[in-house]
Order: sequence, then structure tokens, then C-alpha cells
Amino acid sequence: MSAYMVDKFIRAVELGDATVAEYVADPPAFVERWLAGGGTPAAPADDRVLTDAEQAAFAERDFGALYALGAHPYLLWHFTEAVYEHEYTEGFGWRELVERYRAAVAPQGLVDYIP
Amino acid sequence: MAELALAAVTPHNPLLWRAMTDPVPDDLRPIAADFARIREAVAAHELDALVVIGTDHLRQFFYDNSPAFAIGKAEAYHGTWENEVRTFGMEYAEVTGHRALADRIAGRSVQPDAIDFSVSLEWRLDHAFVIPLQYVRPELDLPIVPIHANASMPPVPSVRRFVALGEHVRRAIEEWDVDARVGLLTSGHMANDVGGPRTFAGSPDPGFDAAATAWMRDGDLDGAIRVCSDVDRLTAAGSMTSQYLNAVAALAAMGGRAADFVDVPESRFSTSPFFLWSTR
Repeated sequence: MSAYMVDKFIRAVELGDATVAEYVADPPAFVERWLAGGGTPAAPADDRVLTDAEQAAFAERDFGALYALGAHPYLLWHFTEAVYEHEYTEGFGWRELVERYRAAVAPQGLVDYIP
Repeated sequence: MAELALAAVTPHNPLLWRAMTDPVPDDLRPIAADFARIREAVAAHELDALVVIGTDHLRQFFYDNSPAFAIGKAEAYHGTWENEVRTFGMEYAEVTGHRALADRIAGRSVQPDAIDFSVSLEWRLDHAFVIPLQYVRPELDLPIVPIHANASMPPVPSVRRFVALGEHVRRAIEEWDVDARVGLLTSGHMANDVGGPRTFAGSPDPGFDAAATAWMRDGDLDGAIRVCSDVDRLTAAGSMTSQYLNAVAALAAMGGRAADFVDVPESRFSTSPFFLWSTR
């Protein structure tokens, strides 16, 4: 169930430009707002639960930790690209982001990401 | 009666959209040439409709409700998503649907014996559908029947189900009592590890790529089934390698015969599959 929520949060951020901007502006606040939403009688299947470790990883934009927590690799890479866009377009460059991502996930090998 | 006139497999790598522009970089020239070859074949076959098999990348479909196979019965489809425009520089597209053909393939009041489809009448297509269409039919003027085959959210259907899908699409077209020429366009990957430990470092598994090319070149459907039945083998070849199964569906649709054109160029990206079965 938990990896499912990690993937669900990633999609809640990454699918839209506005949500990426809101998340990047203040990740911990975005996590808090997201957890407070959902789950109404009008949307009965919109549950939102993240463990402390998952909340911390999202608060820190820690892609290595999210990989370990079972994030879907395809979603995680594009989330990483989206939430570090400012840094790599104006700073260290896209290829360096790839290198940092690979350095974080490669030592972990294949992690079971099936929720 | 309708005819399955052509089948093609292409990559749908969305990073090509920004990278493969004039002047085309040297390492991408073979990919541009292969897309042109398939674009010319699609034109030469004077098709009336396209069945497009692809794998949605957790955009339209997600783990809250993940179908094994979903078929589009909409009158029209919007193409690509805000995050794909942002990330890949893609362009929004509008594509017409082919309701009558979709009904033939899906069954109207009862599902066909061969395969159980989820049905979608509201579907925003992602790059797995839009990129191949924009490269092989930039006019976007052929009505389509999109079929999502889940090769991105385990558990994925077994390779035998992809074979059943291809065979069913062929049979449904051939039993369609109209004079129409239909093409089958599928997209997928060779070994590919987006987001995994070997992301963006060339092909993660050249050995798989070589075997997967040979199955198409030699018309070796049994070989494809034998190896791809081991899902751990696919996973070991990369996080998204199971999207190769869409190519197996095309091979099955063409009765397992050898592809008429096979090319798998290497580039800065992982290996790109181009397979074409033609009748002209």
C-alpha cells in the first residue's frame, strides 16, 4: 500500500505545471496540504497516507530515498527531472542530474517497486 | 472484407522530439531515416484506419484502476499531457477515433472470446501513441483505434496475452465486412531502464536487444514467447523493457512471419526498434 501512495503523491505533483511549482516552492508545506486533502464523501476513494520516512523524503526531494521506498522508476525519474528543473537548467545541467540520480539509485540495484 | 495491410513497430522515445530537429544530429540520422521509411510505407499503403497499440505511462491509467488491455471507443482523442509538453517539448494533438472498427475489435454487446478489453470513451493519449503518430503520419488524418497494453504497471499480461491480442486484432479486421485497408502501428522499447540503475547509459542489455531483433528478422514468434515468458528476464533487461511485448503483438498479428524491414539503430538513447511488415 505504501509504495502506491508514494506513486500517487508523485503523480499529484508531476502531472501539472502548477503543482510542480507549488511543490518546489515549499516541499514540506505541499506534503502537509496534500495529506490534508482527499477523502471526502464526494471522492471516497481518494485516501492519502504517507509514512514519516516517505514524508521526509518528499520534504527533502530525496530521490535516492524515494527509490529505496519503492517509487515506480519511470515516475520517479520524471518527478526528479521536474522538481530539479530550476537547478539543472540554470545550474549544473541535465546530464549532471542524470549522473546524480544514477549515483543515488545504482548502489541499490533493482528495488521491488510493485505496490 | 477489410485487410490488415501493414504493421509497424517504432520507438516512442519522447526525447527525440527536441533532439531530432534540423539539422538532425549525426547519431540520430538513422532514426530519422527509419521513421521516414515507415512514414512512406504508411502513405504508400493508402490506409483507411490505424489500430495503435501502445503502453500508457501511468498518465491515463494508474494503480487505482489498471487495465490489462484498454481499447478506445471515443469519437476523438486529445493527445499528450501537460507534463509531457513541459518535459519533452511535445505538441498537443487532436486525433479522430474510428468507432466502427473499435466496436469490431472490442465487441459491441459482448467481449470477444480471445481477449477481455476495458473500454474507454474518454482518454488523453500519452507519448506512446502521439509520438509514433506524429512521426509516421504527421497529418494526423487517419482515424485510429488506440489500445493500451499494460506493460508499465506490474502485473503485466503474459507474452501469450500479447500474442492473443495481435492475433485477435488481425482476425477482427479480416472479419470486418467493409472494404477498408487497416494498418497496425505499435510502439515500444528494446532494453530500456528509465529511472532504474542504468538509466540513460545506452542499452542496459545488448544481449536482449540482439535476441529481440532476431525474433523479428527471422519471424521467430516461438523464440520470442519462450524468452519473454520469463518476466524476470524482461525486468533484468530494464525497468521498461516489457514494452517490447507490443512488438510481439505485431509479430503475432502478422502471423509470425519475418518482418520485411528491421533496423535497431544505436544512438545517445537506448536502442530504437523499427520493424515493418508490408503488403506492397
